[in-house]
Amino acid sequence: MTKLASYEMHEGKKHIAVMNYFRGDYIGFQVLKSVIAATISFFALFGIYAFYNFEELMQDIYKMDLLEYGKSIVILYLCAVGAYGVISYVLFSSKYNRAKKSLKHYYSNLRNLASMYDNE
Amino acid sequence: MTTLLVAKQYIKIFISKYEVYLKPLMKLILALASLMMINGKIGYMHRIDSVSLVLILSLMCSFMPMNFIIFVAAAFTVLHLYALSLECAAIALVIFLVMFLLYFRFSPRDTLVVLLTPMCFLLKIPYAIPLTMGLLGTPASAVSVGCGVMVSYLINYVADSAPALSGMDADDMATKFKFIIDGLLNNKQMMITIAAFAVTIILVYIIKRMSVNYAWTIAIIAGAVVDVMVLLIGDLMFDINVSIGGIIVGTIFSVLIAKVVEFFAFHVDYNRTEKVQFEDDEYYYYVKAVPKITVAAPSKTVKRINTSKKKYSGGQSKR
Repeated sequence: MTKLASYEMHEGKKHIAVMNYFRGDYIGFQVLKSVIAATISFFALFGIYAFYNFEELMQDIYKMDLLEYGKSIVILYLCAVGAYGVISYVLFSSKYNRAKKSLKHYYSNLRNLASMYDNE
Repeated sequence: MTTLLVAKQYIKIFISKYEVYLKPLMKLILALASLMMINGKIGYMHRIDSVSLVLILSLMCSFMPMNFIIFVAAAFTVLHLYALSLECAAIALVIFLVMFLLYFRFSPRDTLVVLLTPMCFLLKIPYAIPLTMGLLGTPASAVSVGCGVMVSYLINYVADSAPALSGMDADDMATKFKFIIDGLLNNKQMMITIAAFAVTIILVYIIKRMSVNYAWTIAIIAGAVVDVMVLLIGDLMFDINVSIGGIIVGTIFSVLIAKVVEFFAFHVDYNRTEKVQFEDDEYYYYVKAVPKITVAAPSKTVKRINTSKKKYSGGQSKR
């Protein structure tokens, strides 16, 4: 009983919040958040990179093929966000499965406890 | 040993009894210590370098979730760096942003390490972090510890090169950016420390999960030895001039801290180990059961041997 109460107070709260969603909705929402986070991070890092190479960029700006340069940045962005999205998908799927399994165990223990009360 | 076990039991009872008050108190102390350390190391913005503001913010942190302390500490760091130079603040902001957005979404529990690592660096016992995280965390904690090491070296680097940064022309942003980023990326000591801590965490985690006797103690000692060795090999290879005495003394203190953590988190009696075998319809089980050492805290009962005054209301004296 103490274990069940402790679970309810700590981990259970988070697991119940996860299980309020359907699997697809939960994972989709988390992956969307990851894509937004990755986009912000990518542009922040790109900003730092641009400032770091500011002089070289200014010198070469008229020589370089801007379209090609833009294309390579977009490809890099897609690769980075795609990889991060896949990692998020895998991690949040496993988190959802863990929450489901854990709550199933919790409910079965809760049923056992209820039957013990009934027997008394 | 029994006295220590009784003390441990008393501490456990005390914490569980006063948890409601102790949790905010611990958060208050942690926030106060971290903000004071930041102010002491890089207190460039005089407006926020005041004890009253630190106290108010620490009090606020004590009633907020634990991660709020990290947020406040990061904001404090960025503001101080902003007072020194805009470029420093921008780089620190991007590092914090990337850390919080990309990594700590997956393991919000580990965020505290980013705060504790620079604090341990200031206290000269950074080696305690990989040992304790290997014992209490997972191999993924290596990333959190790496982030903490990076923040620590960033703060140290900025503090050391503050005169050079102040002397640079304010309009020359690109040069300042280059100066700070080159200083960070070419810091071989930082890279070696990150590598040594990552190896230590993974090694300690692997050994402590083994079913050999005294696994936690072996893990602590092996982790400490490997940590020192990687740092020394790094020193030899890249000539980074680390203080060997400092590493050894710091590691000894860190081992002691890890032993204290072990005492509270995993204290078992290997002399009473039992090995049992059984089976069910699907499996054979070979089980090694090691009993935990527990001692009941002696409860003091006060027995009154003198009777209450009321009974003698007829004018008789107590004696």
